[in-house]
Amino acid sequence: MKYIRQWFSDWYDIFTRELKHIFSDSGVMVIFFLAGLAYPLLYGLIYRNGSIDDMPVAVVDNSGSAASREFVRALDATREVSVAYACADMDQAQRLLQQRDAKGIVMIPSDYEDCLASGRQAHISTYADMSSFLYYKNLTMAASQVMLSEMHDIQTSRFSAAGHSGQQISQLVQPLKYEENIPYNRNFSYSIFFLSAVLLIVVQQTMFYGVSMLTGTMREENRSFAVLPDRLKGHGISRTVMGRGAAYWLLYIAIGAYVAALVPRIFGLPQNCPFGEIFILLLFYVTACVVFSFTFSSLIRHRETVFVLFLFMSPICLFLTGFSWPASSFPGFWKAFSYIFPSTFAVQAFINMNTAGASLSMAAPQIAALTIQIIVYYFLSCLAVFAENRLLRHRSPASVIQ
Amino acid sequence: MNFFHNIKSAMLRELRLMRQRPVYLLATIGVMAFCTVFFLTFLRDGMPEDLPVGVVDLDNSSLSRNITRQIDATQLGRTLKFESYRSAREALQTGEINAFCVFPDGMYEDVISGRQPTVTLYVNSLYFVGGALAYKDLLTMMNMASGGVQRELLRAKGMNDYAIMGQIQPIVIDAHQIGNVTTDYGVYLTNVLLPGILEMIVILVTVFALGSELKYGTSRHMLEKAGGSMSAAMIGKLIPYTVLFTVIGIICDMILYCWAGFPMAGSIWNMFIGTFVMVLSCQAVAFFIIGTLPILRLALSISALYSVLGFSLAGFTFPVEALPPYIQGLAAAFPLRHYYLMYVQEAIFGSGFGGWYPQIVYMLLFLFLPPIVYGRLKKAYRLQNFPRN
Repeated sequence: MKYIRQWFSDWYDIFTRELKHIFSDSGVMVIFFLAGLAYPLLYGLIYRNGSIDDMPVAVVDNSGSAASREFVRALDATREVSVAYACADMDQAQRLLQQRDAKGIVMIPSDYEDCLASGRQAHISTYADMSSFLYYKNLTMAASQVMLSEMHDIQTSRFSAAGHSGQQISQLVQPLKYEENIPYNRNFSYSIFFLSAVLLIVVQQTMFYGVSMLTGTMREENRSFAVLPDRLKGHGISRTVMGRGAAYWLLYIAIGAYVAALVPRIFGLPQNCPFGEIFILLLFYVTACVVFSFTFSSLIRHRETVFVLFLFMSPICLFLTGFSWPASSFPGFWKAFSYIFPSTFAVQAFINMNTAGASLSMAAPQIAALTIQIIVYYFLSCLAVFAENRLLRHRSPASVIQ
Repeated sequence: MNFFHNIKSAMLRELRLMRQRPVYLLATIGVMAFCTVFFLTFLRDGMPEDLPVGVVDLDNSSLSRNITRQIDATQLGRTLKFESYRSAREALQTGEINAFCVFPDGMYEDVISGRQPTVTLYVNSLYFVGGALAYKDLLTMMNMASGGVQRELLRAKGMNDYAIMGQIQPIVIDAHQIGNVTTDYGVYLTNVLLPGILEMIVILVTVFALGSELKYGTSRHMLEKAGGSMSAAMIGKLIPYTVLFTVIGIICDMILYCWAGFPMAGSIWNMFIGTFVMVLSCQAVAFFIIGTLPILRLALSISALYSVLGFSLAGFTFPVEALPPYIQGLAAAFPLRHYYLMYVQEAIFGSGFGGWYPQIVYMLLFLFLPPIVYGRLKKAYRLQNFPRN
């Protein structure tokens, strides 16, 4: 009983001391609050319009026939592209593409109508500016949509000319129908896709940089992040780790709830999961981030070096979540490497739950992985405290007792 | 003469510092090497292969099995069988599969008897690349299946195959991808991500090098070494980094365009120029940040926030013209944006100097930033009147 009371009193001392450190350090405050709070908002603003609509394309209509004009009109009517330029020849269209006025070219050959009339295949060429894949996607989607609907019209009129009736024609043209369902992100909106992934990355990265800055500061000031209660003579590792951890944990549960629940609401992103379940995910994720940060920050010797050395990990962590390049195509080594980071699992679970509406139980594999990370990183951060103390005591016995 | 001597001694001092603290070489060569290896190996396939696509086959006929086999036969897709819609939907929601299709019960019979059954496709577009590609793959397969049925019907009517193709697919689209013929994601992303990492390194390391003098109180020693001349001290201090960053950038260009064989419509020499000018403009930005905020930790935090934003605002993933108007202007404040526009002109369109010189001019405009804060930084170096921690 006395032991428990003592444990809590030590724990509380360490906890409040750590909070004081955090709030008296302007660099850490910038990272936790400016970055943690403003970054999600900034990303929300940047990707406010999720898609490119009416992307300007140039059309070279060498056919100049009724059929080709019909194709161009239908192309212009799509959501993806608008026919902004009608060019006399390819040279002119290529110039527009190079000057970045048009983002794609559609060329209709001179024999377009002849081919259709004589029942041969007509070829339409598209040229996409590959500087952004969204240009390419828009052009391809618009062109193939128009092609399919034109094809149906052509087939229908041919069968009708051959003397078939309406019902028969539909059966011939489309013996097998299909219906598309794109339930979670109907328009392939970039903002839903990008924000869903980046929000939780901000949590892990800002925490890691902040914790590392404080660890570095303590090292520079000849203190240690691993200070133990004096009278215990090298015992009490768990209250040090848990006391410090609780300080970050408390802050980040608040920041996390803001990032994962409030920011999506502000920008009208889909929220298909009750807050309670997102919160449970956050409990695991924030805990994993705290011990992850403790483990790796123990390698940092100076307060500023963390940015210089590890800022590049932010984009890499983002790719390792598999939000863009599919996880099923990761090379084996990088797949294993991605298991180091809590963000890999939490982002997947967050996308699935918050945006695709999966339940918490469906995120069980990710929660299990986070739990394993929590256990492993907790022991590693205890080990770091232990090793640090051994080193300190060997170096100068006095500094530990002081 | 004295001036050059001062520059030389400042340079020698800086080279000694770089040797003494491993962080400089780790943060430049180490980070760049890691990122180059990462992006080149991570995206080495260029196009994802064998994306998991679900199939719920309630029909179990020769037609549905045939379509399933066809999806398997494409390079893009690999089918996974599901017993029910529910289990497939759960796999879709957890990102296990990128898309799935449901073949309704009695589909084959309905096709034969002209009742036009409907196949339903479901796509998870939250995992963008996988979703979009699986969607494309399924759409192609559905249209081919429909065409296949039509072909059988027309064959039965005695049409020859050439005429049949003209009937079931009267229009064909020949797609050409300018600057990236194979739609390679590795080429698309790595070409801008690696210069983006370089931008990040240049800004952070320059701020770190300039700010360390303040933090460790060595700035007076630095000025003394340079004979009391601030300009000699700064030139001497920054030149070793300019050379180091430029060499790293040029090696990186050579790895991309020579060794990895990324498409290059123009000349690699022009890319070297672009890389060099980007290094200069990033150094100018870094000088501006540390000059405005002569406190190392704050300057580094701000630099970190700034350089991470560069990736989004370069506009190579989501185009800048589709951003809200008040953000579009902000994009011009990032050297990476101008580098990207120059790269598009040179590597994709091969338009040469006439196409990209405005971007070089914009990047050079960043060099007007250091003079604005020059006096302030000089004072900070001399007086050391800012808090160090």
